[in-house]
Amino acid sequence: MCFPTDSPVHSSSSEDFAALIDAELDDFAALIDAELEAGSSGSSPDERSNEEEEVDDHRNKRRKTEKLEDQVELQGSTSQGLIAEKLEVSLKDICTHPGSFRQMCIICGQRVDEESGVTFGYIHKGLRLGNDEIVRLRSTDMKNLLRHKKLYLVLDLDHTLLNSTQLKHLTSEEEYLKAQSDSLQGLSNGELFTLEFMHMMTKLRPFIRTFLEEASKMFEMYIYTMGDRSYALEMAKLLDPKKEYFSGRVISRDDGTRRDQKALDVILGQESAVLILDDTEKVWTKHKDNMILMERYHFFASSCRQFGFNCKSLSQLKTDESASYGALASVLKVLQQIHHIFFNELDSDLASRDVRQVLKRVRKEVLKDCKLVFSRVFPTKFQAEKHLLWKMAEQLGATCSTETSSSITHVVSLDAGTEKSRWAMKFNKYLVHPRWIEAANFFWQKQPEENFPVSQTKNQ
Amino acid sequence: MFFHIVLERNMQLHPRHFGRNLRENLVSKLMKDVEGTCSGRHGFVVAITGIENVGKGLIRDGTGFVTFPVKYQCVVFRPFKGEILEAAVTMVNKMGFFAEAGPVQIFVSNHLIPDDMEFQSGDMPNYTTSDGSVKIQKDSEVRLKIIGTRVDATEIFCIGTIKDDFLGVINDPTTA
Repeated sequence: MCFPTDSPVHSSSSEDFAALIDAELDDFAALIDAELEAGSSGSSPDERSNEEEEVDDHRNKRRKTEKLEDQVELQGSTSQGLIAEKLEVSLKDICTHPGSFRQMCIICGQRVDEESGVTFGYIHKGLRLGNDEIVRLRSTDMKNLLRHKKLYLVLDLDHTLLNSTQLKHLTSEEEYLKAQSDSLQGLSNGELFTLEFMHMMTKLRPFIRTFLEEASKMFEMYIYTMGDRSYALEMAKLLDPKKEYFSGRVISRDDGTRRDQKALDVILGQESAVLILDDTEKVWTKHKDNMILMERYHFFASSCRQFGFNCKSLSQLKTDESASYGALASVLKVLQQIHHIFFNELDSDLASRDVRQVLKRVRKEVLKDCKLVFSRVFPTKFQAEKHLLWKMAEQLGATCSTETSSSITHVVSLDAGTEKSRWAMKFNKYLVHPRWIEAANFFWQKQPEENFPVSQTKNQ
Repeated sequence: MFFHIVLERNMQLHPRHFGRNLRENLVSKLMKDVEGTCSGRHGFVVAITGIENVGKGLIRDGTGFVTFPVKYQCVVFRPFKGEILEAAVTMVNKMGFFAEAGPVQIFVSNHLIPDDMEFQSGDMPNYTTSDGSVKIQKDSEVRLKIIGTRVDATEIFCIGTIKDDFLGVINDPTTA
């Protein structure tokens, strides 16, 4: 058996309410009449009669609608309301509804029902902007930002700025961390936090505090993570306890326009001024040129396992990335360099400069003057020019070739026993492992060749 | 605008509440149920100020619950189009600012902020006039005009403007 629960009864009471409004209106009309009488010297007789008509009209209209329909919404009950209504009619003709807040147009306040444009849930729930408005905001914001000599920087969280693990995934070797974790009160210095209520432990990447402080001077920073909203906000709190870096610019999976991709459409910045720091290239398919790939930060064992590494994690080894030579420190240098070139070394008009070109240029400096030849890196019959390493080397400014010649500087090889490798040793060329290129790619700097030796394959 | 009106509601009460304190139980349940809710017609129920009368209870078949029709006086708040409101700014961004007047959330788009006020980003984003004399930032108090309203089950949303005479900042937290 089923009974209705408490149900509000409106029938009688709403009539009282309507009557009350009506009484108020009459009072108001009387007030206006009195005022007009008193101040008739100020206003011309024409105006007065108009106004009186308006009020009368309004009253008549009210009674009519009330008779017709009890459910009619209470409209503005003053003469100002009337004027606003009239204004709205004229606005309606020109208003293009550039965006909406809770399905109301942000300019004329009218109901907008169609779901066009992009939602900006991370800024405020229920906010939605049309494409033209986004373009307009971007260009005004861009001018503003360039005046402050800043660009945009989009930061990924996991494996880029920090590493998190669930408490239940901690191995026995990592139990010691629980005792070491910093209190949530003294946020501004700590790096290791236990978030009991989220059942998580988070380790910030070494150098992060300095990185954020320095980067905030050159960039307007966004967080963009594939984690959910509550996680993103919690991490933002850890990274930015004083809310000086990200204020409201935290974008999570729930706010993006596509589920498996990250895109710059929710960022109110022109694409030509955005840099992205992320450890996963494939989520940014449309914006590869804006992106600086980061070496993944694996602190916890669970994170290593997740990516299929069998080695001991940093936490198990009780060590950590170096703060002064780590990935964040080296990428900060790159960012500073790009920022410097963008604002100081380009001749073109400020608004037409493109940070993507600068990024490309800086990248090309890394292995400049290096001539590489590959040996036993690519599978035979594989078109060498299409291989990832080849492309990477060329992006870094190196010249690649398939044949040895006197101008070659480096031989990249997996095996010291190959013909080219032996040729390298004979003619005193550098013989390096392919990881040398990858390392240069991550650190944006030519790495010492002797750190990447090539070993003789055992079965030969 | 605030109204003091009489509303009616059918309250269902569990038999365990019967006895000497029936009336008190009824009233406290009513307050719990009604205060803080919204209806599109009356707006936000701010507080119950008194009980007009409690009608005869009706025992429901099968459950033993009793339904009482209760008439009560309450203060309701409902924003109207064209109304002038004072509100506290909660968030400022490049699209405009959000403000709150009690339970009402108001958005003022930068189209509806006077043209001489410009957005300044930073750790305390704000809108400032070119001479720096007027500043809108978080916790500022502004006087604004409502141009659109929408009422949900528990929240009221409005679109406001400050692009009109006598509208704008009325209290600046930095100078106070």
